[in-house]
Amino acid sequence: MLFDSLLAPKYLGWLLDGFVVTVVLSALTCASATALGFVLCLGRIARSPFWSLPVRFFLSLFRNTPLLVQLFFWYFGAAALMPESVLHWLNQPHHWRLPLFGVTWPPFEYVAGFFGLTLYTAAFIAEEFRAGVQGVPPGQARAALALGLRRYQVWLSVIMPQAVRISLPPLLGQYMNAVKNSSLTMAIGLAELSYASRQVETETFKTFQAFGIATLLYIGLIVLIELAGQWIQHRQPAH
Amino acid sequence: MNKLRIGFLLVLTLLAGLAHADRLDDIKKAGVLRIAAFDSNPPFGFIDPTTKQTVGLDVDYGKAFADKLGVKLEILSTNPANRIPLLTSNKVDLVLANFTITDERAKQVNFSIPYFASGQQFIAKKGVLKSPDQLNSLRIGVDKGTTNEIVLREKYPSATLVAYDDTPFAFTALRNGNVQAITQDGPKLIGLLANVPDKENYEIPPFSISDDLIGVGIPKGETALTEFVNETLRELEANGQAQKIYDAWFGPHTKTPLARIYKIGDKS
Amino acid sequence: MNLDVITDHLDYFLVGAYPHGPLGGAALTLILSVLSALVSGVLGFILGIALAVTRGFAQTSLLLVLSFFRAIPVIMLIFWTYFMLPIVFGINVPGIATVVIALSLIGGAYLAHSVYAGIRSLRQGQWQAAAALGLRPWQVLRYVILPQALPIMTPSFINQWVALIKDTSLAYVIGVGELSFVATQVSNREMVYPTEIFLFVALLYYAICSTLEFFANRVARRYQQAT
Repeated sequence: MLFDSLLAPKYLGWLLDGFVVTVVLSALTCASATALGFVLCLGRIARSPFWSLPVRFFLSLFRNTPLLVQLFFWYFGAAALMPESVLHWLNQPHHWRLPLFGVTWPPFEYVAGFFGLTLYTAAFIAEEFRAGVQGVPPGQARAALALGLRRYQVWLSVIMPQAVRISLPPLLGQYMNAVKNSSLTMAIGLAELSYASRQVETETFKTFQAFGIATLLYIGLIVLIELAGQWIQHRQPAH
Repeated sequence: MNKLRIGFLLVLTLLAGLAHADRLDDIKKAGVLRIAAFDSNPPFGFIDPTTKQTVGLDVDYGKAFADKLGVKLEILSTNPANRIPLLTSNKVDLVLANFTITDERAKQVNFSIPYFASGQQFIAKKGVLKSPDQLNSLRIGVDKGTTNEIVLREKYPSATLVAYDDTPFAFTALRNGNVQAITQDGPKLIGLLANVPDKENYEIPPFSISDDLIGVGIPKGETALTEFVNETLRELEANGQAQKIYDAWFGPHTKTPLARIYKIGDKS
Repeated sequence: MNLDVITDHLDYFLVGAYPHGPLGGAALTLILSVLSALVSGVLGFILGIALAVTRGFAQTSLLLVLSFFRAIPVIMLIFWTYFMLPIVFGINVPGIATVVIALSLIGGAYLAHSVYAGIRSLRQGQWQAAAALGLRPWQVLRYVILPQALPIMTPSFINQWVALIKDTSLAYVIGVGELSFVATQVSNREMVYPTEIFLFVALLYYAICSTLEFFANRVARRYQQAT
């Protein structure tokens, strides 16, 4: 009953669809969370408390509450706070024709899932960046300033390259977390891989196959990120 | 000689016990009947706000089984998707959670004779959903792991389905406008709507897309336990207890008055 | 905003149905967290030290097992332990134990690497010098290596434990009555207050996690000053 057969092609297709959603969602999350995390990091290390205090609060709030609760809040709770018109717009299908391709506004669970994952991931990435910046010895900045470089030049050509190199391994760790965390969006109806495995299980009762294939796909994706990380680090000039 | 005979008998009973080791005996031995019931679906299974205990129609049936066995009742909360895994992984002895009997499921678990009947219906904001033909063009909230989802996908392949962990989640999504209708068994929807503060904004359109019979889920191959459950259900109907349970949750003086269209034994 | 929905159910959020039923809510979240923190800490130490003292095939296989637990989403591991272990191996793991096992395995796998990194960050000469003084390997570990490596590891332990507290919320998928589960239960019953309920629950988690962070950082700072 358990191991008797593999899944029918139809159900393998469902799992693959879910996997594609997981990959796209994680990739978009990582990209936007990296950008947002960078901005947050700048705010966090700013000298003026006008910038650093709110950012500190944001970071501690988003890092110290469960993603599941945050997703529930964005999907079920925040919707109730929005003005009727905004909510209505969000829930309507929208389609824009651009010169090369069309853009379709996704259903609300995708918007809420992406938004929630991005904020959560960005809060962690910001701290990894900060650790990277702090990992650069302060003497270097002073030396560069003494050589007559301007502040932005010091940042751009002295601190940033080193900070990025320091924070790359933990950054990849956060990308892996983003992939794994995307599984929680199943709770708000986003049809990613875990959701698909549950659907397949419901229809076929092949619990072992459904969870097994999903688990393998997750692990495969994580291994890919790991390999990509090693490749990038090998390419970096040694010093 | 006597000792030998006792020893022999002991071995025999042990062997017999092994051969017949079945769930019904285990339950009696343990003194506990473990059932899975809903915790968010009035009036089938929900947490009473004052006592904080799980109560409801399904729970009352569970109590009747436990009472007849003379054992304690232990209730595990479940959502729709966890019902079959809970049985196959041996976490519970019975599932009493508005469990629709289907041939596919019957390959995985045993079912009792039906003790409730219902049909798959919908809730939508007033005026949105008038006929089943519209379903193909709507976004519809369903519960993960229900027959509702499978039936809807088969009969209305163009409908967009969004699956949630439990019916109230789906309803919140409906309320927020993320889906345009949600589907579940009629009586469950009536129970849900009865507890909504602004129920006048919603309606249950008067059509159903399937006829469902609800049974008790029992682990596969547990013949003695299935027999016991069936026998008890028939008894409950014969002595009027089943009617009492029904009236307590769907009777004319409840929040969810609903005529009883099905009696245990009408179908098998 | 309707805060009555919070105050009316405050005891349910905090302790579940207790004392008329099993302990649940935030109290259960705390218990799950403490248990998983302890088990994952012990696992992390044992496996991290194992990584440091093994070589070759043994180390590679251990690394592979650890990467499995670092790669699998928590929600998947919880499904596996809860539903698949009984079917495949005939072991019945109750809900609360499932969560503790799953979180400890994942937390332990991460901590093992931190412990390993902490031990490796010390110069090889320390081992040799201590061995030259006639200390046995485990004595070197106990008296020379770990006291120096601990302050290096502390931040990872704090981060991992905060992650554990947050991950207990996933017990929700198998119906364990911890804080997130009772919150969805109340939200499901009251229907129209998801905003208030999930905000309140987020604040409760925030209080728990940041309290841990605050005290752990203080302890760590004192510890670092002492050494």
